[in-house]
Amino acid sequence: MDCCEEAKLGARRLARCLQKLGFKVRFSAFRVVNVLAVCSMPFAVHLVDFTKNNRPIASYEPELHPAATYRIKNLKATVQVFSTGSLTVTGPNVQSVASAVEHIYPLLYECQKPRCK
Amino acid sequence: MSSRVCRTCGGSDIDVDQARGSAVCTGCGSVLEDNIIVSEVQFVEGSGGVSSAVGQFVSADGPVKAPLLGSGFHTGVGKESRAQTLQNGKRQIQQLGSQLQLNQHCLDTAFNFFKLVVSKHLTRGRRTEHVIAACLYLVCRTEGTPHMLLDLSDLLQVNVYILGKTFLLLARELCINAPAIDPCLYIPRFAHMLEFGDKNHEVSMTALRLVQRMKRDWMHTGRRPSGLCGAALLVAARMHKFRRSVKDVIGVVKVCQTTLRKRLTEFEDTPTSQLTIDEFMRVDLEQECDPPSFTAGQHKVKMQQLEQELARKLDEVEGEISCYKEEIETELEKSRPKLRGIYAAYAKEMDPEDEDVLSSPSDPEDKEGDDADLQAAAQRLTQDFLCQVIQEEGGRAPQEVETEGAGLPAQGASLASILGNASLGLQESFHTFNLPEPDQNPDEDPSPSGELDLEGIDDQEIDKYILNEKEVEVKTELWTKQNADYLKEQKEKEERITKEKEQGTYKEKKKKYKKREQIEAATAGEAIEKMLERKKISSKINYDVLRDLNQPAGSPASEPPGGAAAAPRKRLSRRRRKAGDANAELSAGATMMTKRFRRLISSTPRKKKAAPQVETAVVTETASEAVPEAPPAAVPGPAPAEAPPPVETEEEEEAAEEDCVSALRLVGDYGCEEEEVF
Repeated sequence: MDCCEEAKLGARRLARCLQKLGFKVRFSAFRVVNVLAVCSMPFAVHLVDFTKNNRPIASYEPELHPAATYRIKNLKATVQVFSTGSLTVTGPNVQSVASAVEHIYPLLYECQKPRCK
Repeated sequence: MSSRVCRTCGGSDIDVDQARGSAVCTGCGSVLEDNIIVSEVQFVEGSGGVSSAVGQFVSADGPVKAPLLGSGFHTGVGKESRAQTLQNGKRQIQQLGSQLQLNQHCLDTAFNFFKLVVSKHLTRGRRTEHVIAACLYLVCRTEGTPHMLLDLSDLLQVNVYILGKTFLLLARELCINAPAIDPCLYIPRFAHMLEFGDKNHEVSMTALRLVQRMKRDWMHTGRRPSGLCGAALLVAARMHKFRRSVKDVIGVVKVCQTTLRKRLTEFEDTPTSQLTIDEFMRVDLEQECDPPSFTAGQHKVKMQQLEQELARKLDEVEGEISCYKEEIETELEKSRPKLRGIYAAYAKEMDPEDEDVLSSPSDPEDKEGDDADLQAAAQRLTQDFLCQVIQEEGGRAPQEVETEGAGLPAQGASLASILGNASLGLQESFHTFNLPEPDQNPDEDPSPSGELDLEGIDDQEIDKYILNEKEVEVKTELWTKQNADYLKEQKEKEERITKEKEQGTYKEKKKKYKKREQIEAATAGEAIEKMLERKKISSKINYDVLRDLNQPAGSPASEPPGGAAAAPRKRLSRRRRKAGDANAELSAGATMMTKRFRRLISSTPRKKKAAPQVETAVVTETASEAVPEAPPAAVPGPAPAEAPPPVETEEEEEAAEEDCVSALRLVGDYGCEEEEVF
């Protein structure tokens, strides 16, 4: 089942719970506002180089957060890149999240760390 | 200019004398201009013979409205506020910067950043000290000083992440690319704090090498640089036979023990750790490692795979074991002494039950607790039944007993099979069969407006989420205990309120904001007046001039206000220009344009199509982008602004539509020339 439908189902179950407890329940205008997805690259990423290459769009502050944040304006999606190659993508809908990953893949590929083992 | 060509003789040789301020034709000698306005610096002799230049310094972003509406204005109002802010900021920067031991050049740069920030209105809604701290940290990063954000937060007693947020925002807005932090920068500072005496330099060098090695081993990405420095310094100290405990180091470096230990362990995993001290100083290994979290992740994946394999093997082995078990049992059966007569019959009855009851525990999917209880209960039931049967059996024929007995094992078997089968559904049905059913009510009709669709929702599952009576009690107790403080506070507050009410001194401190009444005004000018009056922005505004704005302009606008009216929209006309100027500087006097104000302004044009200028000017003031001009003739439709705030777009669109009509009309009316737009 599509994850958005699952979310709606979950919300309905909760409403049903409240209903059973005796509250008057109204379920209307359900809307998915934010989608969060995780994925992982098969390679590790060098965050400092990545930030240097994508200067204003990407920001990396190791004192604050271990990941580099890349905000895609036209998709309104944010990608957090970790040095292990894992990504966390947030966006307003599933489509934007998917496009964000496609967008960022070539940029990450350039700054990948050579694997040694 | 008339000094180009002489009026009398037509000669073009004009001599302009700056000192006397006159222009004379060299041909006929006629004086063309007298008292030319010169723009030269004049000097005045002060007391003691000191000559000083005449004039005042006017700041570039100072009072914008000063020269314009000439009739008796106080020009000092706006300037003071801005100057005060900057002065205040400068003072705070000096204070904080001296605590960090920054040199004057850094402080000046920080002050420049601060000026930029103020001019971009980024200080609004943020504490000045946060902004100051962010500016200082920006300087630290660009200069490469070994100051951490943590130091700043220590001084200010503010959460690091809040400062970090402000810093990131400022860096983004000011388009300043702060270079990434290099842990090598911090080494000398921490080494100094650890007091290595004479050998300070050597220890620092060793620590530096270690950090560089760590960088190559990908230990530094995503980590706080201070943690790495701490680990490197600890190792370097030990290498040079200094005794520095973990506690000393963490006191200086400001990470916690766990982090330091972890870094040390990670370093231990690298091949470099195997080298001796001398080898390390001389040799650099070529091999680079993967980052530790990456290896940890891989490790985890491997562990998972191993576990899966083990589980599979266990299943196989279990299968084998149960086969053996069965075989053993059958063998035992055969070897048992056989009972004769009636007892044989009983034995046959008992055995199948026992086997079923015995076989159920070996079922791996059993939930131990529940099933044990159920089994015990079932066993007791069957035993009771059997006892009953045996008692009755005394008076009955053995055949009857047999049939009943045959019935018994069937029942016992069915009970046991229910027990043995531990899947959820069957357990539930058992529950529902035995225990009193709480959920008797059928699906209630959802409230008609809510329309809660019950499709796909398993009611029984929902019931499990809802706690039963006993659990509710327990939870209530827990919650009250946890939130005892808050509940006490609430009670005290209520008591206080009731007491004050009795005394009659209770002041209702309601935080409700009264809904502002809509301003009713006939014209836009009146509306502005009333709004300004109410808002008390300035009592020094000349309303007469305001009122004149809406009438056709007599004099063209003088120099437009610098910077304030960044007019990206393509609506131009003489009238508008003047209105734009006046209003722009008005609103520059007014601090923040509230949404209401804008909507207010735009609401009046709806009533009167003739006066959209006010709103446009107001709108243009708040926008801070500069878009190239366009001749009024080419005003086609709404200006495609880059990133207009949502409120403004709707107003623009309305205005733009009106523009199409009125601009054309105006163009026809006035035949305006192109005017420069800022």
